Amino acid sequence: MGVMTEEARRWAERQYPRFEMQVTGTDIAKFAHATGETNPIHFDRGAAIAAGYPDVVAPTLFPYVVRMHASALVPPEQLEADGSPSADVPPLPTRRAMAGETSVEFGERIVAGDVISVDKRLADMYEKEGRSGPLVFVEMEFTFTNQRGEMVARENFTRIYR
Amino acid sequence: MSALPEVGAEALVQTRTPSALDLFMFSASSWLLHRIHYDTPFTTGHDGHPGLLIHGPLQGVYLVQTAESWLGDAARLRSISYRHLAPAYLGDTLECGGSVTAADDDGVEVELWARKPDGTVTTTGKARFERR
Repeated sequence: MGVMTEEARRWAERQYPRFEMQVTGTDIAKFAHATGETNPIHFDRGAAIAAGYPDVVAPTLFPYVVRMHASALVPPEQLEADGSPSADVPPLPTRRAMAGETSVEFGERIVAGDVISVDKRLADMYEKEGRSGPLVFVEMEFTFTNQRGEMVARENFTRIYR
Repeated sequence: MSALPEVGAEALVQTRTPSALDLFMFSASSWLLHRIHYDTPFTTGHDGHPGLLIHGPLQGVYLVQTAESWLGDAARLRSISYRHLAPAYLGDTLECGGSVTAADDDGVEVELWARKPDGTVTTTGKARFERR
């Protein structure tokens, strides 16, 4: 009856290698322009320095960019037909996924030149009976740290398979 | 130091209608490769979506921008949680707003939302700001 098979339980115990992203001013400017940021501290080094930062500053939700690179910066043959990274797809009878809750706590700001490490962990994977059948919740936990060992963000992200 | 608003105060609503170019730039800059945000034939043929989906995380950014442009001079965003209640598609307009739900000596808590003009809420969130 349950869809949390032995195979799914083993998948849930997987470990993820630490990922490091060298964050450039170009990475920050791309994300800033893509999201319509107008404050020059995100793309003009002089403006960032005048505002008291050592270099251009990443927009608040930039840790998302780092964790997407950690998941999806793989050879194309390691992607599913829909473009999602195969390593993130659990062995379940369904692949219909929807985003659950995202929670982010912020620490030090990310600036150009930082090397941001992501430690990724599957915090929990469990089944609940939904109205139209089983639902499986996959809860991922990400810790983002800069090159000085300071916490820049912590994020919990739940994906729901139905 | 700018003052923080009181409980019940509301953010100025910000309206966003992301174009196909905006969706592509968000995917490209974040390396989010999921086709449902840039490949129209795949998206309309798959799950029967009427069009390209506006990314959930992009709506998260809209909530953060709405709150930061309101409170960011006086306080810093310490944490945010958000979840998606309904899909939003290319062509949809999202009205983003929020209000203060709690205040203390150190900061405020706000609830945030993105909704379509017909009232359908697509994303809802809660955030905590602390005085600078």
